[in-house]
Amino acid sequence: MTDIPVPDSDISNIAGRSLWQDAWLRLRRNRAAVVSAMVLVALALAGIFGPMLSQHPYDRIYPQYVRAPASLEAYPRADDIVPAFERAVTRTRVEAGEIEVDGQTVRVPISSDEPIDPRITRYIDRSDLFFNARIEALSADELSGELVASVNRVKFYFGTDANGRDVMARTFIGIRISLAIGLLASMMALVLGVTYGALAGYLGGRVDNVMMRVVDILYSLPFIFFVILLVVFFGRSFVLIFIAIGMTEWLDMARIVRGQTLTIKRQEYVEAAQAMGVSSWGILRRHVIPNTLGPVIVFVTLLVPKAILLESLLSFLGLGVQEPLTSLGMLISDGAANMRGAPWLLIFPAATLTAILFALNFLGDGLRDALDPKDR
Amino acid sequence: MAEETILAVRDLHVEFQTNDGMVNAVKGIDLDVRRGETVAIVGESGSGKSQTTMAIMGLLASNGRARGSATYRGQELVGLPERQLNRIRGKKITMIFQEPMTSLDPLYRIGRQIAEPLRYHARMSGKAARARVIELLDLVGIPNPAERVDAYPHELSGGQRQRVMIAMALANDPDMLIADEPTTALDVTIQAQILALLADLQKKLGMAIVFITHDLGIVKRFADRVYVMRSGEVVETGDTQKLFDAPEHPYTQMLLAAEPTGRKDAVPSDAPILLEGRDVEVVFSTGGSWFGKANGEIRAVDGISVALRAGQTIGIVGESGSGKSTLGRALLRLMPGDGTFRFEGMDISHADKRAMRPLRKRLQLVFQDPFGSLSPRMTVGQVVTEGLKVHEPSLKAKERDRRAIEVLEEVGLDPSMRNRYPHEFSGGQRQRIAIARAMILKPQVVVLDEPTSALDRSVQKQIVDLLRDLQKAHGLSYLFISHDLAVVRAMADYIIVMRRGQIVEEGPTETIFDNPAQPYTQALMAAAIDGTPFRRTDIEN
Repeated sequence: MTDIPVPDSDISNIAGRSLWQDAWLRLRRNRAAVVSAMVLVALALAGIFGPMLSQHPYDRIYPQYVRAPASLEAYPRADDIVPAFERAVTRTRVEAGEIEVDGQTVRVPISSDEPIDPRITRYIDRSDLFFNARIEALSADELSGELVASVNRVKFYFGTDANGRDVMARTFIGIRISLAIGLLASMMALVLGVTYGALAGYLGGRVDNVMMRVVDILYSLPFIFFVILLVVFFGRSFVLIFIAIGMTEWLDMARIVRGQTLTIKRQEYVEAAQAMGVSSWGILRRHVIPNTLGPVIVFVTLLVPKAILLESLLSFLGLGVQEPLTSLGMLISDGAANMRGAPWLLIFPAATLTAILFALNFLGDGLRDALDPKDR
Repeated sequence: MAEETILAVRDLHVEFQTNDGMVNAVKGIDLDVRRGETVAIVGESGSGKSQTTMAIMGLLASNGRARGSATYRGQELVGLPERQLNRIRGKKITMIFQEPMTSLDPLYRIGRQIAEPLRYHARMSGKAARARVIELLDLVGIPNPAERVDAYPHELSGGQRQRVMIAMALANDPDMLIADEPTTALDVTIQAQILALLADLQKKLGMAIVFITHDLGIVKRFADRVYVMRSGEVVETGDTQKLFDAPEHPYTQMLLAAEPTGRKDAVPSDAPILLEGRDVEVVFSTGGSWFGKANGEIRAVDGISVALRAGQTIGIVGESGSGKSTLGRALLRLMPGDGTFRFEGMDISHADKRAMRPLRKRLQLVFQDPFGSLSPRMTVGQVVTEGLKVHEPSLKAKERDRRAIEVLEEVGLDPSMRNRYPHEFSGGQRQRIAIARAMILKPQVVVLDEPTSALDRSVQKQIVDLLRDLQKAHGLSYLFISHDLAVVRAMADYIIVMRRGQIVEEGPTETIFDNPAQPYTQALMAAAIDGTPFRRTDIEN
């Protein structure tokens, strides 16, 4: 150990493996956690890009497709198009052949005794369903041709709600809002809780006592009451929701971090730093906080689903996000009301929320195992 | 000693599956234990001595696997299903562990914990078990066993808890007792008592004892035969006497020679006093609450005066709880204490945190536990240079790095390791890092709080040599706190013996060791040097 020859050339090039890297290696071997992480990433991407790529804006109302069940088929169905087109064609008073529906276009061969007047397409355009009607392949004698019209066919993979809005687009936006609230509220709880808890724990004594009694008092405020107060004062807004959730959730975080800090500050490396004259802030920043992060990260992964659920509760009570914006919680409460008649309104948002919660919990579990140094 | 062999281990391997591949902890060892004899397994930490017995007892960690054979009276133990194994372990072969503080469940009365193996193995009724427990407690020398049987573990001292552990192990009249470093966590004086107890019990009950230890002093006094283990292999085995007189293997010779040697000369009496504390008192109040006043106090340091001269090493010895660590911290003003403190003639009795900061550079502290004193989330380079950031903030990163390389080389570490994290180093290397952290600031006074007690003997010697070299090179003054008299003798030129916050005796090292005047010092020396168990009554007066 004593006489290790020192090659001068690469004196700074041996990198160590930190505890974080160790934890990362362990996490990668936990299949459930890896799958959960991938599910989360996929859902997050769906939340971010889904509404942009979706065929329908989340707030577009299709009055003609109210409560359309989920299906892979396009609306309007071919069975609905043919009679409507037939009715429209009858008005043109030309002989019509077999009607053919092909994707976004409808075509029918027509023939007449007199030359076909191109203005007959107006009869078609007058209908709600069809537009851009035109006559194609008109024969030289203008006695036969093909009447072509575009029809706006849209797909509702998740169906539509009672107002005729696409449930898939709304689920995407719901994921976006719910994840954003979950993450922002957890971040807020993290920053507030870690700072407050670490300070209280590190300073100790009377300061700690006062700070923690403040936490106790805040604990005793009923959450809903607190939110109603905030809503009354500041009005309903998106920002308010995550502030409200963050403001209540940081209390747990502060307690956890304080407890951790109490044990860490008795560690000899903290005393060593004190003996070296490092300032209290330096000790907190370099020694205490980094060492509390293990349990804190685990707690955050469990906090995110909690925040999402709280937001759902608020939305359910009508204190949360406002229509037409939506969140998974609102979608589910909507779906629960229409469970009998339109089960797809409940199934898709609920399955999404369940997937998110499962994934976060598995990931949290995996992180806890990975960060546990005893399992090395 | 032609007694029958009760435990025969043949070609035992223990492997652990870890992140970094397979680790072979034990690589094919043979071991025999005969009836009624004491076998010692000696080795440094990581030599596989504990894992050997864990494998025999089927107590390996979940990622460990044992191969080979271990037979107890013809019954194969390796790979035996749990149920059948339980008929042997806890009944025929029992075990006591190093840490008496954590081996007992704090929620149950000791009587119930001792009765558990009785009720399980011998199917005794509650009443019969209780009677037997009292008998056992009496056997292991617990005073008032009939009352103590209802005590909770926290009501007992460390030595008493180890006695309770022994009583628990003896409950079913075992054939064999495996003692895994049973005295390492105890003070020397208690250590001697426990060893005497074990020897006495063995004579009475005729069981075999397998004694796992790193302390050769214990082996010499206690064991019939010795196995010396090193990195998973038995390097030498033989009768204790023979092995100590004529060790064959170089590793055994090294272990035997690892006792720290050398003496330090006293400094001239006109050397300037660097750090001085007069009538130092540190009082902790106990109890007290939000509204009430504190209702009790503990005088951890009770009117002690110390004067550390330039180049001097003062050794402070005493049992745990004698206030020696508290004294060291109070002198560095890391702990509030009353009295007069001076550093280089300057009065620092009332200096606050801010006033002390410029002085911290010259007053450093090295801790006992090389595992706890390095922040696990910082690289060695960051750990070592942290002090520079505080005291020489003008230094550039490159310059700091150069100083780190310099100091790591000085303490005998490869500087290219400085981007690694503390958990990648061994105990001895970590202690070197901790020393480097103190030395980079070029201090004048270093308080060494048991810097060697968590280390193996051979590593201890290296650290002692390193500390001595550094002292010579930089003219440092040390305050050396330790309960290990052999190390103190090698390091210090002046000794203070502490007990219950007060000085029992002080004087030059030679005087204290050769002619201790106080009965307490005499008892301490006797226990540490030839293992004479001493009685509490000797010290009380």
